Amino acid sequence: MIYVKAFILCGLISMIGQIILDNTKLTPGHITSMFVVIGALLSFLGWYDYLAEFSKIGSSIPITSFGNALYKAAVMGYEEAGLIGLFNNLLSTTSAGISGAVFFGFLFSTVSKVRD
Amino acid sequence: MASFSYQNVYIKDYASIAGPKEKKGKLSFKNTIEDYYNGEQTLEDAEIKMQNFCLEELVEKNKLKNIPLVLGGDLLNQISITSYNLVNKNIPFLGLYNACATFNEALIVLSNFIENTTNPINEGIVITSSHNLNSERQYRYPVEYGCPKKNYTTFTTTGAAAMFLTNKKSNIKVESSTIGTVVDYGIKDVSNMGAVMAPSASKTLHDHLTDLKRNIDYYDLIITGDLGRVGSEIFLKLVEKEHHYKPKKYYDASSILYNEEQETYSGGSGPVVVPLVLINKILKEGKDKKILILATGSLHSPLMVNLKKSIPAITHAVSIEVMK
Repeated sequence: MIYVKAFILCGLISMIGQIILDNTKLTPGHITSMFVVIGALLSFLGWYDYLAEFSKIGSSIPITSFGNALYKAAVMGYEEAGLIGLFNNLLSTTSAGISGAVFFGFLFSTVSKVRD
Repeated sequence: MASFSYQNVYIKDYASIAGPKEKKGKLSFKNTIEDYYNGEQTLEDAEIKMQNFCLEELVEKNKLKNIPLVLGGDLLNQISITSYNLVNKNIPFLGLYNACATFNEALIVLSNFIENTTNPINEGIVITSSHNLNSERQYRYPVEYGCPKKNYTTFTTTGAAAMFLTNKKSNIKVESSTIGTVVDYGIKDVSNMGAVMAPSASKTLHDHLTDLKRNIDYYDLIITGDLGRVGSEIFLKLVEKEHHYKPKKYYDASSILYNEEQETYSGGSGPVVVPLVLINKILKEGKDKKILILATGSLHSPLMVNLKKSIPAITHAVSIEVMK
């Protein structure tokens, strides 16, 4: 059951992304940014916690969890050190994802070639 | 009124080279490259090398010593491929840009130079090239960005081509030409080049026939450059509806380059499509005598598209006669 629940939420989010991609002029970049914003909004409304409780890993795999993490980190920073803490802490929980993307992006670009 | 008739402009020789995907397509090419890098470090160098190959082949085969003029262009920023190809070659050069209509533009300018006997230029070379990975990055998205494509998208053709024009008689004559006008039907979709260019092709065809007082049946074959399957359908509907033209024989050059299963969506595109098909199909087969080439160009600037402007288009017509 735990797998089914994970699949339901993760699959639903991916399906929405695919439908948008197939039917609009938006590119993958537009859609991932949009999902980050939606994730942050859901987090602000407090709904992302319900999704996480229901689907566990299914809620943390899609890019919406990045928005959730951004929002949570910003709130945490604000509570610790006020407005400046909001900016200090904003990227703290997502640091692994961002640094990883930059590092591995560089690493693989050195050994890969473009094709059509 | 920008139509010209020529009495002594001839195509003496030509050279072309095609990319790896074109090699597996419908036409057979004498020269092809094996992969997109063509033995170079960058894709830009690969394209320069292809263009240089065509120029060198013409120079060697015709034993050209002093080329009075080279005209041409490509799709990359500031037509850099053609400019870099001609670095330190000591050849007078005019760089032209009309997107995928560049080849016809060059043909028209050079033909006018040669026809006019008051200037010293009586021969010259027109050259063009395009490269799939360079152009997709320049005009749409880099291929490695992984953006899925629409079915009506065209696929930039990889290749280079050059033609040697002279005032000495040969069996291929540049007979007449018409300079196109810029047409904008308000389309903003960078994937839908066929719809952007079809109205312009229809207009230039009409201008050409009206200026030279010809019937559409004068031509054995009419080809459009790179409208793709989607655009050529729109073109045929437009010419029939607006001007009641029914060409005897018509096809779109970009639609006949690839096989259906090659996933090139609506067909090829790029300034090299017209000369590739002209050299490797029409002139090779030699079946059609009077040929009208409508090279369509979408004057698409990524900057203007980002400013939400629509995409204008231009079409230049060149009529070629093959004699026995």
